[in-house]
Amino acid sequence: MKIKNFIITFVSAIALLLSTSTISLAKVVGDKIILGAAVSLTGKYSTNGEHTKNGYNFAVDRINSMGGVKVGGKTYKFDIIYYDDESNSGRAAQLAERLIKQDGVQYMLGPYSSGLTKAIAPVTEENKIPMVEANGASRSLFTKGYKYLFAVLSAANQYLEVAIDLAVEKNGGKPIKIAMAFEQDAFSQDVRIGVVDAAKRTGSKITIDDKLPKELNDMAATLAKVKATKPDVLVVSGHSKGALTAIRQIAEMKVDVKMLAMTHCDASKLAKQHGKNSEYALCAAQWHKSLSYKDKFFGNGMKYDKEFKAQYGYNPPYQAAESSAALLVWKDAFERANSLDKDKVRDALAKTDMQTFYGNIKFSPAGQNIAKPMVLFQVRCEGDKCENKVVAPTKWAAAELVHPIPKWSDR
Amino acid sequence: MKKNNLILYGSLLFFGLVAPFIFPAFKLQISFLWILIVLAMTWDVQGGQMGYNTFGNILFFGVGMYICASTQIGMFFPLAEWTEAGGEKTFIHTAPQYFQGFFVGLILAGIIPMIIAGLIGYGILGLRGHYFAICTLGLGIAAGEIAGGIEIIGAGQGMTMPPWPKNIGDTELRSEFFYFICFALVVATFVFLKWAYSTRFGLVLNAIRDNEDKAEAMGIYTMRYKIIGWMVSAFFVGIAGGLMGNMVGYIEPVEVAFAGPTFGVFMVLMAILGGKGTLWGPVIGATFFHLFKEGFWTFFLGWQYVALGVLIVVIVVFFPEGIMGWLREKYPERFGEVVDEADRKAQVTLK
Repeated sequence: MKIKNFIITFVSAIALLLSTSTISLAKVVGDKIILGAAVSLTGKYSTNGEHTKNGYNFAVDRINSMGGVKVGGKTYKFDIIYYDDESNSGRAAQLAERLIKQDGVQYMLGPYSSGLTKAIAPVTEENKIPMVEANGASRSLFTKGYKYLFAVLSAANQYLEVAIDLAVEKNGGKPIKIAMAFEQDAFSQDVRIGVVDAAKRTGSKITIDDKLPKELNDMAATLAKVKATKPDVLVVSGHSKGALTAIRQIAEMKVDVKMLAMTHCDASKLAKQHGKNSEYALCAAQWHKSLSYKDKFFGNGMKYDKEFKAQYGYNPPYQAAESSAALLVWKDAFERANSLDKDKVRDALAKTDMQTFYGNIKFSPAGQNIAKPMVLFQVRCEGDKCENKVVAPTKWAAAELVHPIPKWSDR
Repeated sequence: MKKNNLILYGSLLFFGLVAPFIFPAFKLQISFLWILIVLAMTWDVQGGQMGYNTFGNILFFGVGMYICASTQIGMFFPLAEWTEAGGEKTFIHTAPQYFQGFFVGLILAGIIPMIIAGLIGYGILGLRGHYFAICTLGLGIAAGEIAGGIEIIGAGQGMTMPPWPKNIGDTELRSEFFYFICFALVVATFVFLKWAYSTRFGLVLNAIRDNEDKAEAMGIYTMRYKIIGWMVSAFFVGIAGGLMGNMVGYIEPVEVAFAGPTFGVFMVLMAILGGKGTLWGPVIGATFFHLFKEGFWTFFLGWQYVALGVLIVVIVVFFPEGIMGWLREKYPERFGEVVDEADRKAQVTLK
């Protein structure tokens, strides 16, 4: 039975392979501080994963070229190890473990999406590795008592609450009828919780409450119901693909509602992809370039927008901006801690209180950014050119909200 | 031959036992390898030995995972409160609670999928060929969508597993603990299947594959064997699912539990790559597949699925019978097959 010999050889070959692969402890290599990140380069979040990665890289280049990070009288540069989590939470958790255990990473950056952040957080927490994340907004991330998780963005349930309040206000303070459809994932379900809370608070009635499958390609059934019941507000959330699907089918079926509230309009480049069909869609966003926050690395939002476009060839959606902000938080924390010890850096992170081009950042004990409100913008078109205009909060409003949305027959 | 066998099994067992200490950084990857081997071997019970291509084994994987998680949590705390909004209150398992919950959960994670396999199998194992394959494909997809709508197990929000108890050991101990449980599972699966294939049961499965009608005509209750075969697979796959859930720490209905596009396809691929219908094929296939994928994952970021696609094409074109099948064709005498040289030459000259 020579086949057994073959198997023995095979096993020893594997053993040899494993033992020769080098394990580098990459916490700090030379003058480089190594950060680890698993982002979605393939799969359903690949577009937003790319935005996240570009946001990280843009900030790393900027910080490194403007003098790097000064810790204990020495200047360090940032470097990031990336892995592709394939938009899969199982993978993401494995990769986090791999970054920490094999690559020796001591400082983590978040992945894209709440679901993947939820998958990674237990791993970083267990290994006591601080993680600054910019793309996990799910409320449940901040209710578990995590000590090593810091999020620069506002929680998901705040996304569309404002929109409901706005609709009630426009209705003369009277309760409204809400139709809503949410994808089955951590983020969208949290947005839903926010809307349900807002509905309770204002005494509004939810007439349609649909759950949509992942990889949203068709929501005609929901829209048919909307056409029949004529609610005041239609709320849709399902990442970029959900936003694109919703607009396409609303236009095809000529669904008339007074207000259409969504998420991920800018990440999906809605105004460009669907042009006039997307007009009047109301979108929640973490950031908009016209906001007047400032910092010394990127200047302000307008400048960030311009320079990002020059480098990557497209206007940065808020996913890129918040990712860049995460690096600014890391730099600030390292310098204040004046140490590379991960626990000291964690304590410094917890005390963060700063302004970036993206907004103010200050963490609650649960690691949530409590210093920055959400913004709402509406897609508005002039001729064939469509743009996102901030309509709420009023402090930064660049345009008046159009309400109710004109009927399709009048457009 | 006996001695050779002993050396082989001894060295494999030795490798498995010392691996986490020689390659501490790769503990997790090797644990996953054991899980993958279990998936490939159990798929092979249907796909290889019995000739029923199933895409539904992922159903048992997911069910096992959810059952294990729910038991671990539900034994000590109200499950609904745990999952509601992802754990608004923070519950902490003490060490005895954690291990009690874990082992009870793991046992149930084997038994309940087994019962489900029996019930479903009774209904659908009458289907043959493509019809069976499509039907099981539907099962896996439907299960994911259904799980995504059940609030008590977190629905689309997913479910977080209880963390490793704080007061005993560190994360290294946790990885070692799960490593050895995974290893025990793979050994148990292998030993059980090796034994099962050596009995009448294995012969009946092969008879069903080769000619089901004839087998029936010979007086074998094929249905009974088909159902038992599926229940065996479901038992081991369910336990693998329960372990996987604990190792990943976060259960997502479609991506982690009922992961049809990943694990559901991988288990088929691994068995075919190694050579279906053999005992060692799935083991070799899974090992090769895992190494290949991890390698590409590390060194050619973003290209791993392209490479995987190429691998599939190469397998289908050049190794339709898998690595074991190819070896068998090349070196039949090493598999104990007697080749009559004169006969072989005669065939060549005939052409």
